[in-house]
Amino acid sequence: MSFSAFLFYVLAAILLASAVRVVSARQPVHAALSLVLAFFTMAALWITLGAEFLGLALVVIYVGAVMVLFLFVLMMLDVRQTDKTPRWRLHLIPALAIGALMLLEIVLLIVDGVKTKTALPESAASMDKPLDNTRELGKLLFEDYLYSLELVGVLLLVGMIAAIVLTHRQSRFAKRQEVSEQIAVTRDDRLRVVSMPAEVEAEDATAHSPDKTGGH
Amino acid sequence: MPGLEPTLTHYLLLAAALLVISLVGIIANRRNVLVLLMAIELVLLSANLNFVAFSAYYNDLSGQVMTMFVLATAAVESAVGLALLILLFRRRGNIAVQTLDVMKG
Amino acid sequence: MLALIPLLPLFAALFAGFFGRRVPRGWSHWVCCAAVGISFVLSAYALYKVVFLWPALGIQAEVVTLYTWLDLGSTKLTIGFLIDPLSALMMVVVTLVSFLVHVYTIGYMKDDPGYARFFSYIAFFTFSMLMLVMSDNFLQMFFGWEGVGLASYLLIGFWYTRPSATKAGMKAFLMNRVGDFGFIVGIGLLFAALGTLNFGEIFARVDELKGLEVSLWPGLEWSLLTVACIGLFVGAMGKSAQVPLHTWLPDSMEGPTPISALIHAATMVTAGIFMVARMSPVFEGSDAALSFMIIIGATTAISMALLGLVQNDIKRVVAYSTLSQLGYMTVALGASAYSAAIFHLMTHAFFKALLFLAAGSVIIALHHEQDLRKMGGLRHRMPITYWTALIGAWALVGLPPFSGFFSKEPIIEAARFAEVAGHTYAYWALTLGVFLTACYTFRMIFLAFHGEPRYGETSHGSHKSHKAHKAAHKEHHEQPKESPWVVTVPLIVLAVCSVFAGILFVQPVLFGDYFGAAIRGDYVAHPAMAVLHAEWRGIISYLLHAFLTPPLWLALAGIATAWYFTLVAPKAAGRLTHGLGAVFGVFKNHFYIDAFYERVMVRGTHSAASWFVRGGERFWSEGVLVQGTARLVHWGAQSLRYLQTGYLYHYAFAMVLGLLVLITLWGRN
Repeated sequence: MSFSAFLFYVLAAILLASAVRVVSARQPVHAALSLVLAFFTMAALWITLGAEFLGLALVVIYVGAVMVLFLFVLMMLDVRQTDKTPRWRLHLIPALAIGALMLLEIVLLIVDGVKTKTALPESAASMDKPLDNTRELGKLLFEDYLYSLELVGVLLLVGMIAAIVLTHRQSRFAKRQEVSEQIAVTRDDRLRVVSMPAEVEAEDATAHSPDKTGGH
Repeated sequence: MPGLEPTLTHYLLLAAALLVISLVGIIANRRNVLVLLMAIELVLLSANLNFVAFSAYYNDLSGQVMTMFVLATAAVESAVGLALLILLFRRRGNIAVQTLDVMKG
Repeated sequence: MLALIPLLPLFAALFAGFFGRRVPRGWSHWVCCAAVGISFVLSAYALYKVVFLWPALGIQAEVVTLYTWLDLGSTKLTIGFLIDPLSALMMVVVTLVSFLVHVYTIGYMKDDPGYARFFSYIAFFTFSMLMLVMSDNFLQMFFGWEGVGLASYLLIGFWYTRPSATKAGMKAFLMNRVGDFGFIVGIGLLFAALGTLNFGEIFARVDELKGLEVSLWPGLEWSLLTVACIGLFVGAMGKSAQVPLHTWLPDSMEGPTPISALIHAATMVTAGIFMVARMSPVFEGSDAALSFMIIIGATTAISMALLGLVQNDIKRVVAYSTLSQLGYMTVALGASAYSAAIFHLMTHAFFKALLFLAAGSVIIALHHEQDLRKMGGLRHRMPITYWTALIGAWALVGLPPFSGFFSKEPIIEAARFAEVAGHTYAYWALTLGVFLTACYTFRMIFLAFHGEPRYGETSHGSHKSHKAHKAAHKEHHEQPKESPWVVTVPLIVLAVCSVFAGILFVQPVLFGDYFGAAIRGDYVAHPAMAVLHAEWRGIISYLLHAFLTPPLWLALAGIATAWYFTLVAPKAAGRLTHGLGAVFGVFKNHFYIDAFYERVMVRGTHSAASWFVRGGERFWSEGVLVQGTARLVHWGAQSLRYLQTGYLYHYAFAMVLGLLVLITLWGRN
């Protein structure tokens, strides 16, 4: 068994173990940290496959940014896990049964599918890989897939705006115009017409007062 | 049966195992929406592993380009998902999956 | 130019209908009278061409196709005119009577608020009738057929504030629907068999129909020609009011009198007769249909004459007389004496319109009094009306040398010499009918114009319309006086026609070669006309011959009987009525046909409808289909909502399950 094979098995074992830990950990923090470990091992696996740029990007983006975001949210929300139910419960049985069945099928498919395979020059060492993975990837990305890349950029922008809009909370102290209310205002909201007795000069009032009272 | 040297089959089997683990996690998880999001990340990661493995197998970098796109999409997904999670927490005070049953028919 | 003949009345109708209320009153009648008058002149010119110009050129008929309305590949639906001796004659009769009625209406309707509306309707009627008469295909004929039906409905219910008028209109419409159903069946069968609606093509290919059969019922096969002819004739029965579809015609007298004259005596009711004559090549192929016609016609002639004896409403007497005369025409059709039927149609149009208009004149003079028992002695008050009515009565009775004699006598003879089944019955029925015709006609004349005046003692309540009622109060003690010239001039013109139409036209129309190929009888199989032709020795000898045949003496006997019972010994009539109470009861109730329709048809339909309401609508449609659907959906939704737990992990589980199924089913290969 070569070193690369050894490395593969070790990394695969860590990956699976951490994945199991992600879905089964009682504390979300533990799950998140296990996910970080899974990302790390995955990055290592990719590098053994010759995808150095992707592996490093995975570490930088996911471990450095996304997982920190997860942990950040976790801390911010301060979720109290008061659930004391045992880890293995009845509803797990169908889930595990389905999982096992599915794994069995996929394994059979894969083993069947590659039975007729030819040579397998897969390991990173034996691969006749390009000299500079990052440069080649960059060329491909900015030449053949430029349009898709820009679409992905737009997607990221949209996701960012969506996240901001969703979580944005208005400050109670900010002062701003409510344009819709300004437009919807009617005269009755602003203006009150009060009827008042006409102003008359004092002498006239006394002179004509009998007539005026007579009308009542 | 595959031999001991890691071949494409090995990588595919590894990705399948990862997928099944994360799917079971999605089904079985009843406590925390956050963990659901993490399991989804794992599903996408297993897909990415397939892409990279096939890329190496065919000696074609297009698979890695796809992986980049998937990574970007996954990042967006987790960002929006976390934003929704925060909203959910603000409204209900917890993020347990089993309490989310307003869609009950 | 031919297109102008029907179109001018149409434009006039549209003008009077849409603008009649906005322009001065006089415009409506000027426009309508002028339009119909020009139509008459043009029709007369067409007749002139047909009679005097064409024979020299050897033209039998002219087909003018205005445009193709619809082109369905093998079938073309066109708007076109078929001008031949038959349609030219009908056009002249229709436009002449229509024109005279238009003029008469100016006087008759002068106080009516619906003046312009009335002119619009009758002009529209003239248009429809001309379309019917001039059409060269079934579709256009059916259009005209329904158009005259619509005009008839509108005009019967013209005084729509009277419930009896609206009901009579409805009745006429419904009865005509029954007939029209037969008409449509007939048209449809011919169309299905020949694939064309054009008259010319149908006549040319009628021999193809002879062997065909149609299955009325599984196992019951009838000759297609017979079924189609009977279907067409059922249409004619509805329109021409033959027993048992006749009940609408007496009720249609609710309409204004000019309408009774124009539509329900002279023109529209003869549409059925005209149609059968037009279809003569087709009808000739079916002895069964001819026999059916002759029996129906004879039954109508005799039974309606009997009913005419016991009516007291002056218009109803004339209406039953019309029914009876239509029966005569139908017998002529059944005897294959199509030209005799058309000739009688023409003379009848003149003298019956004359009688109606004279009756209308009497009704105006008596301020809308229609009861014969409240008339009498009008002879000296209304001499023109009296003499014209008397001429009409003579013509109707068939005294030589008036027109009715020349048209009715050949029909009776034709019934005698026909060879289809039932002709003997028809002959005796018609002969007896002559006696009855004389009886009821002169009973009416004697009651209205002779004897002591009885209108002075009229009660106030009998005045029909409100306006007339007021007028009656004002001129209560005035004596009835002769009607204005717009009323009397049409009477005189029609009287002249009634006198001379027979003697002038009998030679060419009936025994000459006037119709040529327009009416094609099979003289070998149906020899009635051939026998008449063989016996024809000229007008003079025909007149003399009349004194040797029973009809003339029967007619005179009828007049004498009427004279005895109405003028000499009115008490005797009362005793006779009393003595034969049961029989008169049957007559008074119109043979209980109306009652039969009321009990069986109307109530039967009603109870069937309520059964369908309960069983079909309430239970099946509403209960099972509408509410049942709702309940099923509700029940299904109630069951399915258990699947909608609202829990995310259940949905995810379902998705994974689906994925598993997909892998299992389509993964391997």
